[in-house]
Amino acid sequence: MKTTKSVSQAFSSTGSLAKAITGFNPRQAQLDMSLEVEQVIADKATLLVEAGTGTGKTFAYLVPAFLSEQKTIVSTGTKTLQEQLFHKDLPLVKKALSSQLKIALLKGRSNYLCTYRLEENFSSQPQKRRQAGVQLDAATLADLVKVRQWSSHTKSGDLGELTDVADDSAIFAQVTSTTDNCLGRQCPDYESCYLVKARERAIEADVLVVNHHLFFADLALKDTGFGELIPTAQTIIFDEAHQIPDIATEYFGQSFSTRQLLDLASDCLQQYRVELTDVKQLGKAAEKLQRSAADFRLLFGQNPERGDWRQRLRMTTFSQGFSHVVDDLKFLYEVLKLCISRTEGIDNCFERATQLLNLCDLMQQLDKPGTSLWYETTRRHITLHLTPLSVADKFSEVISKSDSAWIFTSATLAVDSQFEHFSKQLGLNNARNMLLDSPFDYQQQSLLLVPRYLPEAHANNRAQALVDIAMPLIEASKGRCFMLFTSYRMLNQVAEILAEMIENPLLVQGQMAKRVLLDHFIEQPDSVLLATASFWEGVDVRGDSLTCVIIDKLPFASPDDPLLQARSQDVKRQGKDPFAKIQLPQAVIALKQGVGRLIRDIDDQGVMAICDPRLVNRHYGQVFLNSLPDMQRTRELHRAVTFLEAITAKKKREIE
Amino acid sequence: MTIQAIFYLMGHASEQDLLHFVCEQATIAFRQNKRVFIYTEDQDCAHQLDELLWSLDAQSFVPHNLPGEAGHQGSPVEISWLPPTSSRQVLINLATEVPDFALQFSQIIDFVSEQEELKQLARQRYRRYQQKGFHVETRPASRVA
Repeated sequence: MKTTKSVSQAFSSTGSLAKAITGFNPRQAQLDMSLEVEQVIADKATLLVEAGTGTGKTFAYLVPAFLSEQKTIVSTGTKTLQEQLFHKDLPLVKKALSSQLKIALLKGRSNYLCTYRLEENFSSQPQKRRQAGVQLDAATLADLVKVRQWSSHTKSGDLGELTDVADDSAIFAQVTSTTDNCLGRQCPDYESCYLVKARERAIEADVLVVNHHLFFADLALKDTGFGELIPTAQTIIFDEAHQIPDIATEYFGQSFSTRQLLDLASDCLQQYRVELTDVKQLGKAAEKLQRSAADFRLLFGQNPERGDWRQRLRMTTFSQGFSHVVDDLKFLYEVLKLCISRTEGIDNCFERATQLLNLCDLMQQLDKPGTSLWYETTRRHITLHLTPLSVADKFSEVISKSDSAWIFTSATLAVDSQFEHFSKQLGLNNARNMLLDSPFDYQQQSLLLVPRYLPEAHANNRAQALVDIAMPLIEASKGRCFMLFTSYRMLNQVAEILAEMIENPLLVQGQMAKRVLLDHFIEQPDSVLLATASFWEGVDVRGDSLTCVIIDKLPFASPDDPLLQARSQDVKRQGKDPFAKIQLPQAVIALKQGVGRLIRDIDDQGVMAICDPRLVNRHYGQVFLNSLPDMQRTRELHRAVTFLEAITAKKKREIE
Repeated sequence: MTIQAIFYLMGHASEQDLLHFVCEQATIAFRQNKRVFIYTEDQDCAHQLDELLWSLDAQSFVPHNLPGEAGHQGSPVEISWLPPTSSRQVLINLATEVPDFALQFSQIIDFVSEQEELKQLARQRYRRYQQKGFHVETRPASRVA
């Protein structure tokens, strides 16, 4: 059935959207974007759209996508946003346009129940259970009961349905698969596999909702059975597209972690104990690898850190430590080789050992040009990363080969009204672009405060100075405040002082999982949340819950970041200024994101306090001001306090 | 080289108008890549100017600082009621008396008001500049209402 409906018709005041959605107000910016998306789909072109908060960009891209009746993939930043799109926006547009298109939602592997692993780890018949069964604490055991009950009736196998189990429950790792331990077509449960079914639905769907990680896993063939989605789509739409360069970089790179080694070793041990009890060497080799992997982690400091792996590799301690790991992995590989085809599990272990050995080779390349080789430690593990400095070539090749329309949209793509920073990173040189202002009145709705006379970043009294600024703001806004820090050190210092000084509940990052922290923040309106600057990416706190955001410093990436260092050197070699080319645009985008969290609605009001005088006294302050929404500005703390008091008073009146 | 001192005739301009005019002058000098020192009578006046400059359109942004805010070197425009800590070309004087450090600058901008008391003070400053051997001239502040 060929449709005669048009985009303009859909958005008109008497059109399909207005008829189907109560309170729908047509907006010119939204229609402009929608018409442009329609054209780009028709031309199979590439489009970058910055649509300020409140433009209504979701409908603006969904309407032409539905009307085109072609296969469309919509990729967004988080699972939450995926669910919102799939359960709310898509059905609405579909209904409004009376569309017959099939829609589907596909999440990453770790979101689907693996019935094989559930049975393997926690079989209801104990004799079937692996002898080295997983030990669970009481809370996790309770979660297991819930998973089991739900597993008997779920249709999708999507663990997101289990709303009464905490996101970070340890049970999830035990009942889902990873690319490493998935048996693929050899799995006895393959026919009923939820992931396989979800992927089949995804391939059949006309409009498919995925997330960026999944999209790039598929693109970079980082998961088995993948590489099937993207070639089938005629239109690809990235929402929250500002995240794409980082995610693409991650997926076009390689990584190798001691976690993978330990997982492999423990799976080998289980195979040895249950199935191959005769192969004593297998147990020994696996245990040896466990030891050398743990020793390797211990070569680094206890606290999590990042650094240049090539530098470390030139030091004997580290190169020896790594050699031990490689030797023990080789030994395990040789033992596994002798056991091939004895069990599915062993074959899987052998494949993983092979891949890990290949990765070990990559991680020892001392001078591969155009890449950064860096490490990152957590309390227990270390991960080595081989990251390309630029994905522009690879990504633009994907686009030019695709014969599809590509649309990148976000509230934060442009820096100083230019798309160069974004398009350069992805090699999108011939993309069309469009910049749509937010319909919000930022002059009325928001105030940007840069307080006076702040001590220097490393001064001893800085934490106290931040508290002195925060206290009157917190009091005036009655909590409802985020304090965001560029370092854990300052975060903890301020948290400690603040706890003594104010009555408001303090929620500190690290106390509990991010989602739980945010739930508490919304439940306790007078609370103050202290977190690091990266925390707010993907955070959505609507309306009254958040009226004040305090930032300790402009969010420039730490110059110690190994990837940033490598990129900076690269830019320097090209005779350009790494600060202007990399750090500044990154920080601008991060701050724009922050303002977007504060003002989400036409009725929202709030204060953003940036405790960094560089915004006022450096030339680049102008780049920030040109890129941020046009907020009222002040340097007077008392003006910000008055502004917040007025908001609080207004809210009080509304309630009474 | 002779130091240039320019007196702008402010007529009956209000104090707010004067401060706006000062911002304009600071902006002009900043755009000419000159380092500017705005000397005020007191902290309160410095804060008012700071607030005004910070509230300009993003397009007209002028990087500036109050004393101690931007390290020893300061930013292109420093606003202070204390003596300068780094070398600068342009002094915009809002104080009632000529500061001793005026000699450090190559250009001085000052203001004459029609209000009698202020006019007397401006005359005294005019004479001080002349005594110090500066080249002094007056100009109408044409853009002030």
